[in-house]
Amino acid sequence: MILLQLLINGIVTGCALGVVAISFSLIYSTTRIFHVAHAGVYTLAGYIAWSLSTRGVPSVLSLLGAVGVCAVVGALIQHQLYHRLERRRASHLVVLIASLGTLAVMQNLIAGIYTPNILQFHISWSQGTMRLGGVLLSYAQILTVLMGIAAYAGMMYFAHRTMLGKRIRAVASNPFLAEITRLEPKTVYVIVIAIASAIVALPGVLVPLDLGLQPYGGIGALLTATIAMIAGGVGSISGAFFLSVAIAVVQNLSLLVIPGEWSIGVTFFIFVIFMLFRPTGLFTAR
Amino acid sequence: MLRTIRVGLAALAVSLAASGGAMAETIRFGAILPLTGPGAVVGTQEQRGIQFAIDEANAKGGILGNKIEVLFEDNQAKPDQSVLSFNKLVDLQHVPMIFTGYSGPTLAMAPLATRKKVLMVNAGAQSDKLATASPYLFNTLPTTGDEVSVMAKYLVAEGKKNAAVLFENDAAGIGGRDDFRDSFVKAGGKILAEEPSQFGQTDYRPALLKLAAAKPDVMYVVITAGMLPLAQQAKQLGLNFTVAGTSFFSDPDTIADPASSGFIHTQVQISAPPALAAAFKQKYNADMEFFAKQYYNAATIILTALEKVLKDKKPVSGENLRQAIFDVRKFQGLIPMEFKTNTASVALDINVMRDGKDNVLKEMKSQ
Repeated sequence: MILLQLLINGIVTGCALGVVAISFSLIYSTTRIFHVAHAGVYTLAGYIAWSLSTRGVPSVLSLLGAVGVCAVVGALIQHQLYHRLERRRASHLVVLIASLGTLAVMQNLIAGIYTPNILQFHISWSQGTMRLGGVLLSYAQILTVLMGIAAYAGMMYFAHRTMLGKRIRAVASNPFLAEITRLEPKTVYVIVIAIASAIVALPGVLVPLDLGLQPYGGIGALLTATIAMIAGGVGSISGAFFLSVAIAVVQNLSLLVIPGEWSIGVTFFIFVIFMLFRPTGLFTAR
Repeated sequence: MLRTIRVGLAALAVSLAASGGAMAETIRFGAILPLTGPGAVVGTQEQRGIQFAIDEANAKGGILGNKIEVLFEDNQAKPDQSVLSFNKLVDLQHVPMIFTGYSGPTLAMAPLATRKKVLMVNAGAQSDKLATASPYLFNTLPTTGDEVSVMAKYLVAEGKKNAAVLFENDAAGIGGRDDFRDSFVKAGGKILAEEPSQFGQTDYRPALLKLAAAKPDVMYVVITAGMLPLAQQAKQLGLNFTVAGTSFFSDPDTIADPASSGFIHTQVQISAPPALAAAFKQKYNADMEFFAKQYYNAATIILTALEKVLKDKKPVSGENLRQAIFDVRKFQGLIPMEFKTNTASVALDINVMRDGKDNVLKEMKSQ
């Protein structure tokens, strides 16, 4: 039974990380910006939803409010920061440092406004539990899995079946050609970061709903998601999502055979070995 | 005429300079505490406790006419940041005494305190290593070993002889785990499983599941942050064993949450008089919680030692403050406290959390 419970626990964590990974992958494969501030947007989502829900706004509207605010913040970061840096021909390293700086500013602002304490949502239903086939899950965990699957399916549909999705893939594939064929890469970049920020707001709200809010909590999630994106194959939505789930499941199940302090190290060691044999990642970008 | 004015001004300057030595001055102390990050819940309480005691003393005219000021540094509960802050306070501000908290940071600064003869007062951390880390480090709380020993005997006496241990993977947590392992086995108990967690972690489910699989009677917890998520997840998983811990369990949010109902822990006896607690609440719009009381108490100890140093007309140095604590030896702050060694002897209770309150279950003797 513990095996099944740990497995399901890993899948829940993996679904949340998977959504962070596919949103980060969407940004990186299109803009080539290592958007570390994405961790700040992820963190911000939880605090926005917490602010709204503590003021009596219904849970669904709080979630949608967080999604909206994050989309705007993401678009502003692209339009007001990355775009300006690009116009001034800043190198990738400069953009990365600017992104790191933005993350630090966001984290400190959040800590300054909301205190650095671990905050809990006062939504009584989120702490409720349900037994599914012998496995005990909180409602917040169930929602996280449903959200993860929906976000993955939605992203696959969006990327492959919609005009905007195809336009983004075209820009990602060849920005120069996209420029001369009037696909307007600059506008696409803003749209991409806005969409990715809206998507990352979903786990940004649901994970703290279950585990609590911390101003500095996003960077750990982004690190795992980034590794999943690289191991899954940069640009591959499926690769990023399923590798995130795999990493989280391996981390959880490894507890059965090794103490917890070794679990992260051993998990990532396995992936380092894996990358040695398949450096382009598991799934090839299409 | 002009010459007379010049002479007069010069005489005035000389007399002012001469009287300067006898004038009351501001005595500066330091405090290196986690004011941001996961440890800030405790760090903010500690800061308020110190500042409240200092403000109270200054409002009464200071210590023998000298105003006191405490310079606060944020270490985010990180040892490396603590060392930087220590050097800044000692080398640039020349403070003779520093309040500290958290075991890792305090242990990192202890060798510097010995070398530079700066007094450090810890009223929050409890690693056993703190007892002997430096002759200049005073602990106003019993070490984890003292608390653990009391709880281990109580648990075995209550028939809870099979234990699992959840510990924070740092100096305080590992020390607590080792102490519990020793005391519990010595008392006749058996350790079935152990699992670490990281400081600031909020997802305890995998560790709880693993420990629950060992089917213990009790889970002993040695963590310093993240108590509320732990309580909520333990309740969600329907764990049916007793959860026990140290004074670090006394987190107000955790006590208030129904998920913590039935948790037991050792607790250093400390209480504030109603008038003091009310004045604190009026000033900070927050209750005077455990760590605020502890650091208020620690600040009163230092102010008493400072008064002795000043009365003896000695320089306010770490060495003299240290000797003054041993000379005074017995302090009557918020809690009677005696310094036979660098670590105070105090009394302990065993508390149980129920109905949003932390209730005394049994009074125990600490040492």
